[in-house]
Amino acid sequence: MEYLLNQIVNGISQGAIYALMAIGYSVVVGVTGLITFTHGEVIMIGAFASFYIFQYIGNNLILGIIASFIASWILGMFIYYVCYDRFFEAPSHISLICTIGASMLIRNLAQIYFGPNQKPMLNIIDNKVYRIGVLQVSLMQIVILITVVVLASILAFFINNTRWGIMLRAVSQDKKAAYLMGINVRKTAMIGNCIGCGLAGIAGLLISIYYQTLQATMGGSLGMKAFSSSVLGGLTDTRYSALGGLAIGLIENLGITISTASFRDIFAFGFLITVLIIRPEGFASRKGAKSQ
Amino acid sequence: MKVLLEAKNVSKHFGGLKAVDNVDMVIYEGDIFGIIGPNGAGKTTFFNLCSGVFPVTGGEIYFNGENITNLRPDIIAKKGMARTFQNIKLFNYMSVLENIKIGFHIHSRTRMWDAILHTSVYKRDEKLAEEKGMEIIERVGLKDYKDILAGNLPYGMQRMVEIARALALDPKLLLLDEPAAGMNPNETMALMEFIKKLNHEGYTIAVIEHDMKFVMNTCNRIMVLNFGKKICEGDPEYVRSNKEVNEAYFGKGIVVQGGTM
Amino acid sequence: MNEIILKLKSIYDKYKIIIILAGSILLLLVPVIFPKSYIMGIICRILLYIILAGGLNVINGYSSQFCIGYAGFFCIGAYTEAILALRLKINFWLLLPIAGIVTAIAGLLICLPTLKLKGKYLALVTLGFSEIVRLIALNWSSLTGGPMGLKGIPVPKIFGIEFKNSLSYYYIFLFLVAIFLFVTRRVINSRIGRAWMSIREDEQAARSLGVDTSMYKALNFMYGAFWAGIAGAAYAPYTRYIDSTFFTLDEGFNILSMAIIGGMGTLIGPVAGSIVVNLLTELLRPISEYRLVAYAILIIAMMWLRPQGLFGASKSILAGKEIVKKARKAEKEAAA
Ligand SMILES: Nc1ncnc2c1ncn2[C@@H]1O[C@H](COP(=O)(O)OP(=O)(O)OP(=O)(O)O)[C@@H](O)[C@H]1O
Ligand SMILES: [Mg+2]
Repeated sequence: MEYLLNQIVNGISQGAIYALMAIGYSVVVGVTGLITFTHGEVIMIGAFASFYIFQYIGNNLILGIIASFIASWILGMFIYYVCYDRFFEAPSHISLICTIGASMLIRNLAQIYFGPNQKPMLNIIDNKVYRIGVLQVSLMQIVILITVVVLASILAFFINNTRWGIMLRAVSQDKKAAYLMGINVRKTAMIGNCIGCGLAGIAGLLISIYYQTLQATMGGSLGMKAFSSSVLGGLTDTRYSALGGLAIGLIENLGITISTASFRDIFAFGFLITVLIIRPEGFASRKGAKSQ
Repeated sequence: MKVLLEAKNVSKHFGGLKAVDNVDMVIYEGDIFGIIGPNGAGKTTFFNLCSGVFPVTGGEIYFNGENITNLRPDIIAKKGMARTFQNIKLFNYMSVLENIKIGFHIHSRTRMWDAILHTSVYKRDEKLAEEKGMEIIERVGLKDYKDILAGNLPYGMQRMVEIARALALDPKLLLLDEPAAGMNPNETMALMEFIKKLNHEGYTIAVIEHDMKFVMNTCNRIMVLNFGKKICEGDPEYVRSNKEVNEAYFGKGIVVQGGTM
Repeated sequence: MNEIILKLKSIYDKYKIIIILAGSILLLLVPVIFPKSYIMGIICRILLYIILAGGLNVINGYSSQFCIGYAGFFCIGAYTEAILALRLKINFWLLLPIAGIVTAIAGLLICLPTLKLKGKYLALVTLGFSEIVRLIALNWSSLTGGPMGLKGIPVPKIFGIEFKNSLSYYYIFLFLVAIFLFVTRRVINSRIGRAWMSIREDEQAARSLGVDTSMYKALNFMYGAFWAGIAGAAYAPYTRYIDSTFFTLDEGFNILSMAIIGGMGTLIGPVAGSIVVNLLTELLRPISEYRLVAYAILIIAMMWLRPQGLFGASKSILAGKEIVKKARKAEKEAAA
């Protein structure tokens, strides 16, 4: 029972990181209208950016977050120009294949330059553990939860209250209408894509702190989890995607209570496939959606 | 007369928008049934409901005495309802003949083994598609274009190819969504004649059209939709003289909707 | 490019019988011409990947569903063969179709939940599936040997001939490639192939013509998976040892690169893709860590310049560039 409760705590804190990845993913998909395979690689680059900052400049979480954000923002620009910019009118499989190519490119270059092996992430948060009754909550988990909540709130404020945010929403909903209203759709799509990538980069930093390791190939399964979470949330809805992330975090951690940690990913994907069978539109049942 | 297609209280809502609102309609065997109405009246949506593209929000649809509400489009097609699309949906990168060959899908039954071993079933199917396909192409007057990619033809011809492809299904009921759009006056005239000829040969046809002359001259019964509701139904004379129809198209003094009459 | 292809085609049509005859004799003599096992090894790889890239092309190129985790099917085929051959001592020639069918069933299970969804969901589900398969192969030690893999897989025999090395195994691969191309060609040129292509070009229109799109997509996926299973079953006794590291996501991307670079939607495309990519692999051997980087750049370049691939179907929706051009032209005309 104790073990189960603590796995729930672990599930929530890990789910919070997945939620951040999923929020980023749904922003990207919403604004470009195209599915991407590069998300995992963006997450990985975000993790490595902060890794090198911690190594060479110092153990400062805020600095790490900024570094991850900037590095993945730049990567987001690269991805945008390679995979999306010229393909908005083309059949969607073309940009899909392009993102596969870009993801192969980034991952393999990373393997060459960062090395193929796991690296230990520096321990930048004290190893303190608080006990509340039978529950054990580590300082790291608290820091992660706070970071995710703050970032999600900033994003929500940005999307709902700023001019750029409103433009982003307009482009997500209907590119043609946005264009007719005089919005620069391409520029907005690029910025939206970069914001989504930036959030993913920070999530990469958090997940590598959580596991205390990072690796050039870590993007593969993380990207899939981001995708799974946002499918659960109906793909473009940031709030429901966040919920999806939490759900996957919980499922994974509860799943390994009945087996071993090496089956972690099997639970995540098994869950995704189950959801696709039972409720393909995700949590959010959308009204008036074009059903074609 | 035998009822072929019957809609009972059919509705379709998109969120708050009532695209089709409680429409009752009967098409008898042998009809050329016209559906008219201003832009956005719900005509295409109504066709989509009949052919199974969307599920209905309410109501029931009967085809040939059978309840076909919410069945899949391919099942409805197999039951004998073929259609064309307002925004032409040809296989643009296939030749005209190949397009029509796919129309014979429901009349052939080649299995994987038949295809691999070239059994008699395979040979029969290929022969049928090839020969009957050419027959239909000749009938719509596109013999010289059979090997041209469908997407490279002018609009008017593309519409004819789409009709030809639908005919390959040998349907009991043919739904045409604005078949004359994009055609020049000569082509439109020819299309009118062609539709009448098909009707003589025994096809029942339902057609959505904006061109009033077209509808008045070809259809024997007409239904008028406005804002998703049926506002009038009857023979061309009756519809022409109906006050509500004129209001729907021209508004009460002001032009409300961009109807092209 | 298109002109070259057309020219080649007309030459081929003219001298069809001579070319086919000369070609087959040449193909049968290959091990005599190249008696070195190093070169025959490369040629065997090319043949193996023709089946893999070709099978993938049936899925991605003909019905425009999108499978990325093809290595998962390859893996199932290989393990099925190896396990049944080692445990139950079943004959290789019987195991080929068994592995194919087992893999096709796995393909059906994977595509069923995603049939109603758009192709992009299927893409990610196959990726996840491929990882799951690999993880199971890695962790289910009692069945798969876990990280130790399966050793000593028996070599195929027929009429007392043992297919022990790449020189003799070449004939098995050649035989399978010939069957694959023959059968696939016939299926593509039938009602079934037409239904697949109609789904690729316009799914809604296909449905309106009575094509049961879900059924045909499932059939298409099973057909593609079947050949991955066959390829896997042929591969396991070739190397005589398999473990889970052979079937990573990168292996899936490797196969995908061949289909994309060689061209999708034609039979010849994946053949060309397998030859080009495998020769490139050999060229890049001194800097082998850049191998996948090079493929990645080639894939992106292809999408920018010729999305249907080198020998892909230029008359299809796969050749997206022309579609964009045409849409722009139509827009301009409408505006004028
Ligand atoms: N898939 C859909 N999702 C949401 N709204 C839709 C959808 N399809 C149609 N509508 C809306 O339903 C209404 C009716 O559309 P419909 O296309 O049926 O009109 P129509 O009578 O065919 O018009 P037109 O003469 O322009 O073809 C329109 O307001 C349209 O915007
Ligand atoms: Mg319409």
